[in-house]
Amino acid sequence: MSRAQRQAIGLSLLLPLLLAGLACASLPPAPADTRIIIFHFNDVHGKIDNFAKVASIVERERRGGGDVYLFCAGDNFTGNPVIDQYQPPGEPMLVLLNRLGLDVMTPGNHEFDFGLDNLTRFTAQARFPMLSANIRAPRGVLPKLQPSLVLKTKDGVRIAVFGLIQTEAESGLPSTHPDRVRGLRFSEPLQEAMKFRKLRKGNHVFLALTHLGFDIDRVLAERMPQLDAIIGGHSHTRIDPAEMVNGVLIAQAGSDNRFLGRVELRIRGGRVVEKKGTLIDLKEWREEDPEIKAMIARFNQNPAFERVIAETPFALEGKDALGSLMTDAMRTIHGLDVAFQNEGGIRLRRLDEKITLKDVYTLDPFGNQVVEIAMTAEEIRGLIRDSFGKGNEIDLQVSGLSYTVRTESDLRIKEIDLRAPDGRPLPEGRTYKVGVSSYVASSYNFPHRDPGRALGSTTAEALIRFLESRPDFSIYRGIQRAFQDPPGRNDRY
Amino acid sequence: MNIKVNGKIIEIFSGARVADVLRKYSTITWTQVQKGSKMVFDGCGHEVALDGELSEGAALVVKRVLRKEPRP
Repeated sequence: MSRAQRQAIGLSLLLPLLLAGLACASLPPAPADTRIIIFHFNDVHGKIDNFAKVASIVERERRGGGDVYLFCAGDNFTGNPVIDQYQPPGEPMLVLLNRLGLDVMTPGNHEFDFGLDNLTRFTAQARFPMLSANIRAPRGVLPKLQPSLVLKTKDGVRIAVFGLIQTEAESGLPSTHPDRVRGLRFSEPLQEAMKFRKLRKGNHVFLALTHLGFDIDRVLAERMPQLDAIIGGHSHTRIDPAEMVNGVLIAQAGSDNRFLGRVELRIRGGRVVEKKGTLIDLKEWREEDPEIKAMIARFNQNPAFERVIAETPFALEGKDALGSLMTDAMRTIHGLDVAFQNEGGIRLRRLDEKITLKDVYTLDPFGNQVVEIAMTAEEIRGLIRDSFGKGNEIDLQVSGLSYTVRTESDLRIKEIDLRAPDGRPLPEGRTYKVGVSSYVASSYNFPHRDPGRALGSTTAEALIRFLESRPDFSIYRGIQRAFQDPPGRNDRY
Repeated sequence: MNIKVNGKIIEIFSGARVADVLRKYSTITWTQVQKGSKMVFDGCGHEVALDGELSEGAALVVKRVLRKEPRP
């Protein structure tokens, strides 16, 4: 089905008026028997390689002449440095989604990862509408964002779709750094959804395209049986076959472009009489669109990856220098008091004078998030104690303080001495904003009353921003902030 | 936030992913999942990816999965 045959009717500003009208309008007659295919993906996170297969599957179905649509349930960005570091960020996703002929997308929380200006550029250049009923954007921001739309098949079947994005209970914002969504207003998605129940009237098919996660999609289905189907994302759930909850079909296609979802709806007598959803395992699919395959190959040769982002007066060598740099980055970029980096997460011995993006992702390849935890000095000692106990040697590099682990001759810890940057004892009786990687936060066993929160970016991203800010590299010559007394066997390379 | 893993409540930082929760739940289980001898499902029995995002109160089930061996 060609794009010209599909007519999308935006309902953004005139929604209440139109809804009132639709409620009174009689449903246009639908053809006797129609089959609609909706392909869908979600949480691709920059994994573009399988899009050549997606294109071949969708094109094959389109060539058959049926009513075929392609939906995206959000989170295209973040997860593949080669794509994330493209200039402008995420550009390959935009080009590929346009080329795939995407019909509609709902933004996920990671769509904001490169900032609102970047997403505004993305939406302006997208050849498809973005749906989200619970985002309010000021004029000029996210220009193609609308709460809902109606797609019309060539036979006159009306498909009403509205979009929703998840929000966190604590902040009322999607799971991203608050700075990235400044100026936008978000409402609670399930409450917002109820305002769209009237879309049932006047349309043959009624769908929600969500980025809420499967658990919340289930609640939505319980509360909104008027829906024919929910096509979702966010929780990276592989639902195969699609699940029926309260008469509503819920579909989600895992993550990372490993599966393509296929929802099939049969309409008879003006309503959906049959619906089912399955996943196509793209690993098993052989056919690829050659043109898209070539585009993907070009994108994967991202020249930005070789870009020099900082030049230092000397090579940074050893875990003390590299760990100090990494923790300074985390602390400075996120406005923290203290930051820690486990030595196992420092994957290079040396950074040469010209530091490229590739170097950063080799040094810190894990994609760990930065986590902020409010900790007392005693809780910080608990973290250091646990880290030291892993191998009876220094394990955590630090910024914002220095420390000495004093041990008995059998390496039992006698004392942990914390010092502020000016060399005085770290004041007790207050809490510090401590940054650690999500790996340390989840796998180190230390007491802390505050469970903490992810700050919506990775440790590598913090390092890139820090390096680009041209800090004073001279401090890293011969630097050491973590000590063992008496000295241990750690070679401190 | 609190996430239930095999019935046990794990308190973890908000914004944690499935992998974070499993590491906190049990290093042995985490290793088994990484090696592929165990898989992770949500409370409804659907497989979830290790980088899957979680909401307060979500439930995960980690269990051994018997893989079909290819016929000789």
